[in-house]
Amino acid sequence: MTDAAHQGQETDANVDQKLKEAYFTASQGQLIWARFRRVRSAMIAAYVLVFLIVCGLFAPFLSPYDPTIAGRNKDYTNGAPQIPKFCDENGCSWRPFIYTYERTRSIKTNFRWVSEENRDKRRYLTFFPKGADYTFFRIPFLRFDRHLFGVDEGKIHLFGTDSGGKDIFSRTLHAINTSLAVGTIGVLIAFVLALIIGGVSGYFGGFIDSAAQMVTDAIRTVPAIPLFMALAAFVPDEWSSETRFFFISIILGFIGWPTLARRVRTHLLSERNQEYVLAAQLCGASSSHIIRRHLLPSFTSYIIVDLVISFPYMVLSETALSFIGLGLKDPVNSLGVMLQNVTNADVLLNYQWYFIPVIFFITLVLAFVFVGDGLRDAADPYSDIQK
Amino acid sequence: MLQFARFTLVRAVMAFVTLLFVSLIVFSLMELVPGDCAERYLAFKNTQGLQITTEDIDAERARLGLDRPFIVRWTTWITNAFSGEFGDSCILRVNINHLLGDKFLISLGICMTSLVLAYLIAVPVGIISVTANSPILNNTLRFVSYLGLALPNFLLALLIMLFFTVQFGESLTGLFSSEFRDADWSYERVLDFLGHVWLPIFILGWSATAFAIQTVRALMSDEIGKLYVTAAAARGVTGRRLIMRYPARHALGPIVNSLGFDLNRIFNELPIVALILTLTETGALLIEALARSNDQQLAGAIIFLLTASIVALNFLTDILLAVVDPRVRRSILGN
Repeated sequence: MTDAAHQGQETDANVDQKLKEAYFTASQGQLIWARFRRVRSAMIAAYVLVFLIVCGLFAPFLSPYDPTIAGRNKDYTNGAPQIPKFCDENGCSWRPFIYTYERTRSIKTNFRWVSEENRDKRRYLTFFPKGADYTFFRIPFLRFDRHLFGVDEGKIHLFGTDSGGKDIFSRTLHAINTSLAVGTIGVLIAFVLALIIGGVSGYFGGFIDSAAQMVTDAIRTVPAIPLFMALAAFVPDEWSSETRFFFISIILGFIGWPTLARRVRTHLLSERNQEYVLAAQLCGASSSHIIRRHLLPSFTSYIIVDLVISFPYMVLSETALSFIGLGLKDPVNSLGVMLQNVTNADVLLNYQWYFIPVIFFITLVLAFVFVGDGLRDAADPYSDIQK
Repeated sequence: MLQFARFTLVRAVMAFVTLLFVSLIVFSLMELVPGDCAERYLAFKNTQGLQITTEDIDAERARLGLDRPFIVRWTTWITNAFSGEFGDSCILRVNINHLLGDKFLISLGICMTSLVLAYLIAVPVGIISVTANSPILNNTLRFVSYLGLALPNFLLALLIMLFFTVQFGESLTGLFSSEFRDADWSYERVLDFLGHVWLPIFILGWSATAFAIQTVRALMSDEIGKLYVTAAAARGVTGRRLIMRYPARHALGPIVNSLGFDLNRIFNELPIVALILTLTETGALLIEALARSNDQQLAGAIIFLLTASIVALNFLTDILLAVVDPRVRRSILGN
């Protein structure tokens, strides 16, 4: 055996040792992340999700126009999507361009206004043009007027326009933003309630637990949509769209907690008989201290997983609620509001591009579900052993 | 036997208490809706050209008993509700029982059929997907069942409906053709009903099946890795016999237990599907009562009936579980 080979073996053993050490000293989060990365579907979903979240967060910058009536293009209502091109029969260009659309009305079109593209007049895409003012996250000094792209003349509508001439691309991005915000607020409220109720019921057990379980079960028994509807009917018409938005998110949170609370309770019930809890109790720690400092950290990762899993349900509820006209309303753009627009035959036959937001909606929910599922599998410490 | 009767009684009492509690929630919610019956009725009179004063409103309130304290009104309402009497609708001025007629039973039937259908598909499919051990099958099923979640019911209903309208020029809306709408039940009417009802059942069943497959899969894959399955396999039990006798039986318990909540979820979707397919059953009435006319009496009655059927189903599954699951039976009968 040569010296070099001997050394090589030793380092291999070293690396192996290090890996083992890393495995045994890894935090719960690191272990979950390592397992999560191995599932390809979950990773793809995670990339899609991050992409959509970024789209939502930077919606005002990424979208060329204001999504409300202020940004409407009154010369291009119900207009088809305009797809930028590099080449056409008149030659190529290094800058992507779209055509100019002209509205005409003649005996040929039965005297209806029809948009016709004029292939000779190109409009070139510009990047970082000045446009409508916007602020990020409603912080006054984050006020900008540059948008990611636009055209040198007129307006560009990647996903077409709706009957009011509003840009569907801008509306979709803002809708993702709103739906994510509603989901986040809803999940946070549900989470706090679930932690308090599930925590108390799981930690103390006994009579308190039975009582809390009964209340939880009773609330689970009430059909949620009628409950939403009753609560939403309570919203006065004169409320501003913003107040409405917060109210709807709060309702979603107040109804979404029982499932989460159940999970927290189950975790706590199995953890509270562990030795470290007894040790803390013997040291004279108060109940709230034990719950906060010992029990909750023991399953933080599971809670995060639960939050991700319950997120799409919040988004779905908001959509359903807005769809029947009890949730958010027009100046606010949410995915539910956008879906409302696809409900007539006219749209299916003539204006299929109204369905583009639907694709985004389905992608968003699917991405969340796949990520949640991957996380759940990754958070289960026994998932390795089964295979 | 005596212990079993006691268990049934305790469960029945608990179901009753839950129902009381839920009715309190529902009743308070109805109170939240702005305005009350008296105001609404007299507002209607006002549009008819009558001059209405505040005294009139107060008199009407006294007539309807709305001036009594909350707890008294709730007690009256709940006692009447248990005897099947919901009073008059606030807006329509018609007895609610008369208004609902067989509509509630039709809705319940639609939901129950979807539920049964969902589990008839989900149980075998879920078990196969876990035991087949084929990644392709597994991933396809997962994707389909997630799509059942991500493709909202109302969208599916809309697409199917529009597709049929455009392709075949035939509208699938409603539960009856126009000539049968107000007819008495007859053989033709039943046929006509069946010709219409498959669509809502299919749509409601679609997402219910997706959910059910996920539940069955999760439970089965939990159970199949446990030691008693390995032990049974070591004793020489193999194939279908092993799956059906051991993990499948264990997985069935939680499923039976959650049937009530599944029904709840299907009920949830009903109003929205009803809205799109313009069904004339309780889902549509509920939306009408809540979203359009603020009819507290009608909405309260419908929600009460819904929750009562869910609580009843929960009670039944509890008893059923005690009958079929020896572990539960033993815990009741005390060894």
